[in-house]
Amino acid sequence: MTELFAADGRFLAIVLRTLVVSGTATAMAVFIGFPLGYGIARRNFRGRTLLLGFINTGMGMPPVVVGLVVWLMLVRSGPFGDLDLIYTRTAMILAQFLIATPIVVGFTTASLQALPPRLADLLSVLGAGRVRTMLILAREAKLGLAATIMAAFGAIVSEVGASMVVGGNLERSTRVLTTAIVTETSRGELDHALVLGLILLGLTFIVSLALTIIQQRR
Amino acid sequence: MEVFLDGVRVERDGRVLLDIPSLLLPDGRTTAVLGPNGSGKTTLLRVISGLDRPSSGRVLIGGLPVDVSRAAYVFQEQVFLRRSVRDNLELGLQLHGIHAPERQRRMEEASRLFGITHLMDRRADRLSGGEGRRVSLARALCLRAPLVLLDEPLEGLDRPTYSRLLHDLPHLLAAFDATRIIVTHNPDEALRLAQDLVVLIDGKVRASGEKREVVTNPREPEVAEALAYFVVIHGGRRFAIPPNALRPGPGVLQFSMEVEEVIHLVASTELVGRIGEVRVNVELPAGSEQSARGDRLCLHAERYYELR
Repeated sequence: MTELFAADGRFLAIVLRTLVVSGTATAMAVFIGFPLGYGIARRNFRGRTLLLGFINTGMGMPPVVVGLVVWLMLVRSGPFGDLDLIYTRTAMILAQFLIATPIVVGFTTASLQALPPRLADLLSVLGAGRVRTMLILAREAKLGLAATIMAAFGAIVSEVGASMVVGGNLERSTRVLTTAIVTETSRGELDHALVLGLILLGLTFIVSLALTIIQQRR
Repeated sequence: MEVFLDGVRVERDGRVLLDIPSLLLPDGRTTAVLGPNGSGKTTLLRVISGLDRPSSGRVLIGGLPVDVSRAAYVFQEQVFLRRSVRDNLELGLQLHGIHAPERQRRMEEASRLFGITHLMDRRADRLSGGEGRRVSLARALCLRAPLVLLDEPLEGLDRPTYSRLLHDLPHLLAAFDATRIIVTHNPDEALRLAQDLVVLIDGKVRASGEKREVVTNPREPEVAEALAYFVVIHGGRRFAIPPNALRPGPGVLQFSMEVEEVIHLVASTELVGRIGEVRVNVELPAGSEQSARGDRLCLHAERYYELR
């Protein structure tokens, strides 16, 4: 393993890149997905069940399909080709964000719907404004919300299809742990692939452990 | 603070849930809103609290438009944060901007008054029904809100806790200077807890006023039934008979009842049967002459009111 990192810091860069890409995508999905999930859980509107049906379908969307759609959008001849984002980390973040967002919205909605139905009413009559109500409800649902972040990060850090399609697996700019494992395996460097696999598992474990500690704190 | 409803109408999915042209609930008194399930009682309470807006009309609290933070509301379901009783009590006070020493003083007073001092460090969402009710009441009343709204405050309690709280609640409520509105479907509860009554049926106020006046003058059959009277027809006229006023033997207003069921209770025997289409029960002291299923019994009403 020391040999792996000693070479030229390539693998360390891959680990850091993986963290930056998947961490940013998770943070963006949480930033958008928590309020969306909150709105869906709290409001009763026409088409809500249908919308939740779409979101739940999105939770099981194959990453490679998401990658393909993002590729079609960002490729030079595509509608957003002028942005010159294809085969960049930004494209990978965008694809992973699209994979993570339905997971965050779906789990957030379910976590908040599992709270006592009158809790929001109680907070209103106790004098909590909208933002305070949202924060208190989020704290009450922290078990589910922490699990949401874990599920979203776990899903995108371990996906390979979308990263490969929109990132192109370029060695010094878009290679992440999963695509690196594919590369090392195809080269026959199985010990490298196994070590990278262990690093990926360790990374997921550390992030999940940190969130679990927050989740279980009384 | 008096509560005034002016032309309040609540509609949902084309259904009228509440239609109250005018209703005044006086300041500083306890009013019980009584009615069968689905009559709009909780809807009325939610509109008064400001949690729901009426489709039309307005609610004035002390002459001002309703504001959700001016009411202390005890919900029918027990609703707590997954925190200690102390945290649950303190949250409302914090949100109302009460400073720490005053918060402490109010919590101590409320916990003493409601007998929950020993529960303060327990998780509120893990309390028993009776304990939870006391904590809910303490949380609402320590806010010192000018308006206190209680939705079925004694629902789902075991018998000893129910009896104890039924006895304690009027004294506890009297300890706080507020206008109090209690929703219940139980006439006994309403009469024990309140000074005034509002009878709500199908979203409409069918009777309101000082409780004795409402109870002794039910006027309409639906109101009488909501007050747990037996409404029976005799000689083409309709009468409301209080639930404990049927006695065996002949009298001025007498009926024949076929006994359908005999229930032996701890201190009495209850005979269940029908007068015409109306199911009635007659309570006899334990050890009185035995009746059996199928017997015909002559009954008379000790007290009754003629209805319109």
